[in-house]
Amino acid sequence: MFLARRLVLAHFWVAFAAFGVAILLGEWQMYVRSPLAPWIDNPEHYYRSVTAHGTVMAYVLPTLVAMGFGYAITELALKRPLVGMRWAWGGFWLVIAGTVMASIPMALGQASVLYTFYPPMIASPLYYLGVVLVVVGSWIWVALMSVNLRAWRKENPGATIPLAMFGNVAGAYLWAWTSVGAALEILLLILPVALGFKDTIDAGLARVFFSWTLHAIVYFWLMPTYIAFYTIVPRAIGGRLYSDTMARVSFVLFLVFSMPIGMHHLFADPHIGAGFKFVHAMMTAMVSVPTLMTVFTIVASVEIAARLRGGKGPFGWVKALPWDNPVMLAVTFSFVMLGFGGAGGIINMSYQLNETVHNTQWVTGHFHLIFGGAIVIMYFVVAYELWPQLTGCKPLPAGAVRTQLWLWFVGMLVLTAPWHLVGILGMPRRMAYYDYSNPALAGQAWTVVASVIGGAILVVAALLFIWILWRARRGETEAAPFTFSVPAHPTHTPALLNGFALWVGMMIALTVVNYGFPIAQLALLPETSVPAVFMGGR
Amino acid sequence: MRWIASLIALSVASLLVGFVWLPSVHADFTARGLWDAICRAAGVPTAWSDGGLAKSGPRTTEVVFTPEMARAGSADSIGRGGTAATQQCSMCHGARGVSAANAPNLAGQYAEVIIKQLMDYRRGDRQSAAMRALSVDLTDANIRDLAAYYASLPRPRNTPVTNMATVPPLVKVGDPMRNIAPCASCHGGIEQRLGTPWLEGMPKDYLVEQLAAFASGERRNDSHAQMRNMARALTKKEIDEVATFYARAAAE
Repeated sequence: MFLARRLVLAHFWVAFAAFGVAILLGEWQMYVRSPLAPWIDNPEHYYRSVTAHGTVMAYVLPTLVAMGFGYAITELALKRPLVGMRWAWGGFWLVIAGTVMASIPMALGQASVLYTFYPPMIASPLYYLGVVLVVVGSWIWVALMSVNLRAWRKENPGATIPLAMFGNVAGAYLWAWTSVGAALEILLLILPVALGFKDTIDAGLARVFFSWTLHAIVYFWLMPTYIAFYTIVPRAIGGRLYSDTMARVSFVLFLVFSMPIGMHHLFADPHIGAGFKFVHAMMTAMVSVPTLMTVFTIVASVEIAARLRGGKGPFGWVKALPWDNPVMLAVTFSFVMLGFGGAGGIINMSYQLNETVHNTQWVTGHFHLIFGGAIVIMYFVVAYELWPQLTGCKPLPAGAVRTQLWLWFVGMLVLTAPWHLVGILGMPRRMAYYDYSNPALAGQAWTVVASVIGGAILVVAALLFIWILWRARRGETEAAPFTFSVPAHPTHTPALLNGFALWVGMMIALTVVNYGFPIAQLALLPETSVPAVFMGGR
Repeated sequence: MRWIASLIALSVASLLVGFVWLPSVHADFTARGLWDAICRAAGVPTAWSDGGLAKSGPRTTEVVFTPEMARAGSADSIGRGGTAATQQCSMCHGARGVSAANAPNLAGQYAEVIIKQLMDYRRGDRQSAAMRALSVDLTDANIRDLAAYYASLPRPRNTPVTNMATVPPLVKVGDPMRNIAPCASCHGGIEQRLGTPWLEGMPKDYLVEQLAAFASGERRNDSHAQMRNMARALTKKEIDEVATFYARAAAE
């Protein structure tokens, strides 16, 4: 089994190498805008770095991890060789080509528009084409996931799709539809301007298209993490999955509710009607449902593990948990960060509360805590769990792995807690420097230093992560066959939760209902175009 | 069926409460009537108040920059522009576009900058007795030719900055707490934005005079008050400092 070994390794190595570079950029950004450094002479260098950090962390890292993990799941859960290996390599090379293509204008300062594009700012067309190639590469993965599932179903008519594959394909379909928003923005609005066919751009419409992608992309990043929660954690700590059905319900709920909520990123945008903002805010509240269900199910699964190990009492079982097991540690850290980050997210999605934190460092704190914290720490777990399978190495050194997870957790809290605090005080985000000599800001200077320290801890954790993977020797032993979690009770999976037709249909229908009118009316209004602002000057 | 009907009724009732009744209690609610409230919820622009989107306040400029204005002119256009410039402009702006009379240098100036300023002079959006008289009879084609000619001349350069510490902070980083953006973020150095003039080597007196005019509001042909908002926040000493910096090659 496992013909896709080299394929998965290639995806993971490129993802983690890019991650290692981008995290250094992040820490540099934190340092230059702190009181420890003089003001940066050329603020454009700062935005260049922010663009590269965001592009790698938001597009390259999670896409490659999701793709690599997806190929691994296909072979491990379906227990059959991957169909379409050549296509998979093609997709991989497209992602690499796109990354290189986007990096060149970014490094030259011709694409400092941040990864969220922000029209009417217009970067070099190479940057957008690079991002398009990354997305097209990932679409090949989406198609392959679908093809492999179909091939498996043909061989196993009527069988229940293994949970890991179910989540994996849900994530693939989620991404396919999510990425359409940004793809439309780039192809219809941005590229014609970047290539010089047009001088003006409908910035409002472009923002609406991007919001379609911008929030749901987070759930695409989240999917590998949730798959790990449900299918790796209970097994790794010696427990059972409390409910397989609950897992499937939360996967399909993400599919349905991820897309039609993106306008909560546009609460301050005047071109969106108050009614649509309200509807999107309400729907955003709905995505807390699958997350709360997941927290419940995983805590219940963890309790099963504790009781199997002899844990007693309503709370006494917590002591019986295998706290020296890195996966136990990671899932705890992940839930703590998910808890804080999620609570912050509910504040962000509330129409009125959003006013106080909109475009402040609070938002930066929120998405670093959720993505960099809760999600990425489980990417580490996925890599640690798969590494013996991929390389045939001996078990990874548990002490170093625990240290790495602790450093990442502590570093992320030290980085983001001050951001949340100063965000409430009104510190704007996306600033290359702050005037700490001003009495109004002097009191906030220490928080930025604290974040620099948090960032430094994260850099150490990232380097330790790469070192642990790097020093694992290839081919030392033949790894035991990989297993996924087993449900605690025999499950009967309803037919609706053994397929995607209804849920994909609902996903598309809700998107059309919630986005159709705003997109149509902005597209038809003649007076919404503004002159483009080209980056990189002349 | 009954369930669906009551769900629809409930939705309609909540929409009316949320978007029509509750907002109307606020004193600053501007929507007039049910239809306006519906448009507001849907994001359809409508005439909220009487007269729709009437433009008010003093006129600033009618010119909108497009990248097309910045394209290099043809040799014919440059030739026609050169002929006209020699007759009309060289007295103040210099034979090769570098002024010895404290008028702005035009050599190497971006074409769209010259187009905009001439159009503003012609309409009276930028005030100058001399320039108004000289521009009033120019056609759009004349203006494009003049811009093409001056854009084709070699621009004066400052002595290159070797030590960034010598650049005034206002030029490279601005003053964020006073909402002053760095000069270099539009005028070149960090970024050269469409429509912003080349300043290096400009006569210092001209720069000081224009910044003062922006600050007082006497000159207001900058769209969205971009320069007025910057200049108003500057002290006399700061104006002198940035003007000296940009003029330093000319002073040598």
